[in-house]
Amino acid sequence: MAQGLGTPRGEFIASVRRRLGRRAGAPDSPYPALGEELASLEERGRQAMRRLQEGRGALMARMAATAELRGWRVCRAANSEEALDYLRETIQGLSARLAVRSHEEVFRETPVDDLLAGMGVRVQVMARGDDREGGFDPASADVGITGADYAIAETGTVVLVPRRGVSRLVSLLPPVHVALVRGPEVVEGLDDLYLFRRLEYHRRGGDMGSYMNFVTGPSRTADIEQTLVIGAHGPRETHMIILEG
Amino acid sequence: MAGVKMREFRRASARALADDKLQSFLGRSMGTFDGAREEAIEELSRQRWDELRERGRAIKRHTLDNLDYYLDMLCDRVSQNGGHTHFAKDSDEARRIVGEIARARGAKLAIKSKSMVSEEMELNPFLESMGVEPVETDLGEYIIQLAGEAPFHIIAPAMHKSKEDVGELFEKKGIGLPNLKEIEAMADAARVALRGKLIAADMGITGANFMVAETGTVALVTNEGNGRFCTSVPRTLVSIAGMEKIVPCLEDLAVFMRLLPRAATGQRISSYVTHVSGPRRPGDEDGPEEFHLVIVDNGRSNLLEDPDLREALYCIRCGACLNACPVYRKVGGHAYGWVYPGPIGAVVSPALAGLDKGKELPYASSLCGACKDVCPIKINIPHMLLKLRSSVAEGAERGGTKASLGERLAVKGYGWLMSRPRALSMARRLGRWMQWPVARRGLIRRAPVPPFSRWTRSRDLPALAPRPFRDLWRRELAEEE
Repeated sequence: MAQGLGTPRGEFIASVRRRLGRRAGAPDSPYPALGEELASLEERGRQAMRRLQEGRGALMARMAATAELRGWRVCRAANSEEALDYLRETIQGLSARLAVRSHEEVFRETPVDDLLAGMGVRVQVMARGDDREGGFDPASADVGITGADYAIAETGTVVLVPRRGVSRLVSLLPPVHVALVRGPEVVEGLDDLYLFRRLEYHRRGGDMGSYMNFVTGPSRTADIEQTLVIGAHGPRETHMIILEG
Repeated sequence: MAGVKMREFRRASARALADDKLQSFLGRSMGTFDGAREEAIEELSRQRWDELRERGRAIKRHTLDNLDYYLDMLCDRVSQNGGHTHFAKDSDEARRIVGEIARARGAKLAIKSKSMVSEEMELNPFLESMGVEPVETDLGEYIIQLAGEAPFHIIAPAMHKSKEDVGELFEKKGIGLPNLKEIEAMADAARVALRGKLIAADMGITGANFMVAETGTVALVTNEGNGRFCTSVPRTLVSIAGMEKIVPCLEDLAVFMRLLPRAATGQRISSYVTHVSGPRRPGDEDGPEEFHLVIVDNGRSNLLEDPDLREALYCIRCGACLNACPVYRKVGGHAYGWVYPGPIGAVVSPALAGLDKGKELPYASSLCGACKDVCPIKINIPHMLLKLRSSVAEGAERGGTKASLGERLAVKGYGWLMSRPRALSMARRLGRWMQWPVARRGLIRRAPVPPFSRWTRSRDLPALAPRPFRDLWRRELAEEE
């Protein structure tokens, strides 16, 4: 299906051009952002990083406050012990039997597996590549635990992008999602996020991976009588543990 | 287009006004999101909100003015991501494209997240006819799919259904336990009924809130998580988009992700925003093996080629103009007779389905301008409605029918009068004398002669004041300065 179905591309685009009464070629008034050189993008990226580093303390506070408003239950953890304490309390309240987690670096610093095993919760890890011996069944899991690639303070959002060991389903199928957010992953606003992702797209020669998911609190619907119901197809309960140390 | 009933707006709206149940519902529930929307805007500050609106408008204007260029770029970048782009000039072609993909992949079960274009092209019956089961997974869309109805509202398609209606419908269709009373239980029943489908589907179909030309990305704004299922689980993913949904640069999304959720539901951001840039890559653990983007014209060119109407394509489908419109608030979404109701629908529908079919819709407005005021892209809807009215009156549009001779003469005469102050003043004096048998307390409730009698059938005509303002001003008010 390499060839497009339907109207041939050239014909369709020529027809649009005709209806616009435009000549072929680039816009008369160019779109400045698209003409930006990689070097300039890199420089803007560096400036944003510097700004974020300088305001780190206030940023963490804002991240936690907004996330709470958007429906996350939030823990600000000074170190991984505090994070694990919070996780223990959370799991205790759930009577969970099966947890799934992605395979990410954050779990090396904050080892959740032993804690969960100690509480009688079976843990399945999204195995790398074809090594799926331990089984991986997010549809049956009571809780899914992930890291984050970014978190956005402006909106209280956790951002997930694909990589080896990360499944899209861990944050989607189980009724409870726990996200571990590390301090440096927090950005101020949507502008920072899209800038960094755009930078990555161009650095990698025009690829930023197959998807990017924003997750902001639990799933919800208000489709019957405009009455808010928390918990639709995605998780009904979401926890954000911010590792500030 | 089988489902088009726009020609019947006058009758359908009269029916809606006489429908006590609908009226009591509309009275109760219209404007539920107004408070939240205002709050979300105030929090950002009015000034910042206005800056964002201007920015959003400028981006849309630039993109639409150069749409051929950005379509070309988008198509390149989608291929670069490993996806396929298909172009459909009309609904029929769009249906056949999706059907062909389903056939080639042997799809049997298609899960859909909300897509207005798929409603526009009546995709579901087509898929059914070829043995593919389409399942709407947005709760509102699921309800109206079960009921076999059209969406009532762009954002909340089933908002006209009371919980009793939904409970009855679910019981009839065997969704959940019988006799459900609580909204939460109904939402849960739908979730359980749909979970199996979401896991088992071999095809995912989505709309697109935005397409980014620079990176070949489709962005979906959702709350329930069904959009994430549709883009994660099935091995084939098809996104269907009106060709106007493009923005040039990835960073432009920062503007629209602030505008859309606030304008639509008063949310600062939706629970989920899913950005799809092609199929799964070799290193990915899951995701679709194939990604298809279907770009649909279907009459949008008619808006594109008319400089006065082009800005209708700036619309980001937030539904704010519906909620603000005094006409929509009284007659509801179904009276408009097609997929896109409300003020923006009154502009878009006639262009997409033909002005001859939709010539009553430009009149479904009091031109109060509330739609323009709330629009996050500042689309000048009243201006476009006037333009369409004049097209209808002049019968200028392809295949359009002319207004009656009487109406054309009346409009011409009005224009003549309004540009001649002395004649106008004489006409007013005449009018004041002629109106005295029917005017009561400044209103004419039932005018005896056309065209005024038609006006007063559904509203009161303000009578001419006993003393004209010009006269008052000259003799009394001006002196006080």
